[in-house]
Amino acid sequence: MQALHTAATGMAAQELSVQVISNNIANLQTTGYKKQTAEFQDLIYQHIARVGAQASAQGTILPIGIDIGGGVKTVGTPRSMTQGTLSQTGNDLDLSITGEGFFKILMPDGTFQYTRDGTFQMDNTGRVVNAQGNPVQPTITIPQNATGLTVNAQGQVSVQLPGSATTTSTIVGTIGLTRFVNKGGLLPVGNNDFTDTPSSGAPQDGTAALEGYGNINQGSLENANVDVVSEMSNLIAAQRAYEMNAKVITAADQMMQSATAMFR
Amino acid sequence: MENALLIGLARQSALGRQLDAIANNIANVNTSGFKADNTLFEEYLNTPAHEDNFVGSDRRISFVQDRGTYRDMTQGPVEETKNPLDVAIDGSAFLAVQTQGGERYTRDGNLHINSQGQLVTVAGNPVLGTSGPIVFQQTDHDINITPDGTITVVEGSGRTDSIRGTLRLVSFTDAQKMLKEGFNLYAAGEGGAPQADTKSRIQQGFIEKSNVNSVAEMSRMMEVSRAYTSIANLMQQQAELQKTAIQQLADVPT
Repeated sequence: MQALHTAATGMAAQELSVQVISNNIANLQTTGYKKQTAEFQDLIYQHIARVGAQASAQGTILPIGIDIGGGVKTVGTPRSMTQGTLSQTGNDLDLSITGEGFFKILMPDGTFQYTRDGTFQMDNTGRVVNAQGNPVQPTITIPQNATGLTVNAQGQVSVQLPGSATTTSTIVGTIGLTRFVNKGGLLPVGNNDFTDTPSSGAPQDGTAALEGYGNINQGSLENANVDVVSEMSNLIAAQRAYEMNAKVITAADQMMQSATAMFR
Repeated sequence: MENALLIGLARQSALGRQLDAIANNIANVNTSGFKADNTLFEEYLNTPAHEDNFVGSDRRISFVQDRGTYRDMTQGPVEETKNPLDVAIDGSAFLAVQTQGGERYTRDGNLHINSQGQLVTVAGNPVLGTSGPIVFQQTDHDINITPDGTITVVEGSGRTDSIRGTLRLVSFTDAQKMLKEGFNLYAAGEGGAPQADTKSRIQQGFIEKSNVNSVAEMSRMMEVSRAYTSIANLMQQQAELQKTAIQQLADVPT
């Protein structure tokens, strides 16, 4: 009885679905987190009687066939790259992006990672760094004693230097943004960071507020784009589907039991 | 006397296959764009040697045969995802997809963009527009899909919409005869040539869920399971009958 294996594929798929949902809910408060969904496809069919096959020598054809499916498989856990809402923090170096771009981070090994998490700080040399201490690209060093740090929508970082007139501010650098053709193809590496893959396409560095890269907003952070209500309803759906598949296994088991118990 | 056993066997193998179909429906209860399969049985009359000239003529015996599986092509429930690349089709149309094996059709509107900027299904097959695959430029953003399937974007820092193509919506005269290939894809098969569908509408930001009615499937499954057990009991009684007959007839008085 194939039903036993079919239901097993169903249970495995729903288990994975619950895993994905629980990760979304766990990251409800993670800055710049993008939710994932588990996507399923039906497995190949056993065409016992192929639809449209000749049913007689007179040329009549079968209007319907017998197609028995083999269950379900997970095709992927795509990431929904929609914009998250912004929450105001008031910190000078809390940045958020409204648009397509990503912040570019230089890792200690010389490679680049990309993030939507704009929780930046200054390190002991005045560089603008992320929570792990890795500098944002292009590297910006804030001079000592500088005050009144502002970041505008284009990513230009300007400060007031001591001794100069209070009305003039000096631009010390521009935070760049990076775009990808397929944002969904980025590889998550933890710490809110992504790396580029052959699927995401090559990173295209550019300037904020231009060509759809998105604006940089100072003093706010991007919340996770997880929608609690839809996650909860998905969780219920996955759990019930899991239970139903378990029931199918029980039914198949009972049927096989009664078949083996027939002649003793 | 063996007829009862053979009829029971026919019923059991039909029920086994019905459970397989139910199991596949339930396994795909959360598969986007999935269409449920139902099984159809028919009576198969067997005409053994019989005599109709007497009053109370011999009865014909009837077996059961699984005639086929038919698809429930009704629209599944539509879930809002707010994802701009999720589309649900309101109507009977399918999206055309380009695969290795030729053109295939799907109701699964979970679309993505690949590294070449092409609009693809979740399995990576390009989705076809009215004039071939739909390709986005590198600076495109704010993708909008109108109800008739026209895809517009805002390019770069521009303010006006540019058209990137129109989703090709096709329908079939007899969708029942299309061949389910798995992976949410259908082949045209004997369903006729794909025809442009102007009546169906696209809903952006929505996904069509599976149209499996879980309650109906569960009750059907219980029916199958009970019927199987009762047939098994019937066959067991027949076997007992035969056993008794053999024992008693062979019981030669000494």
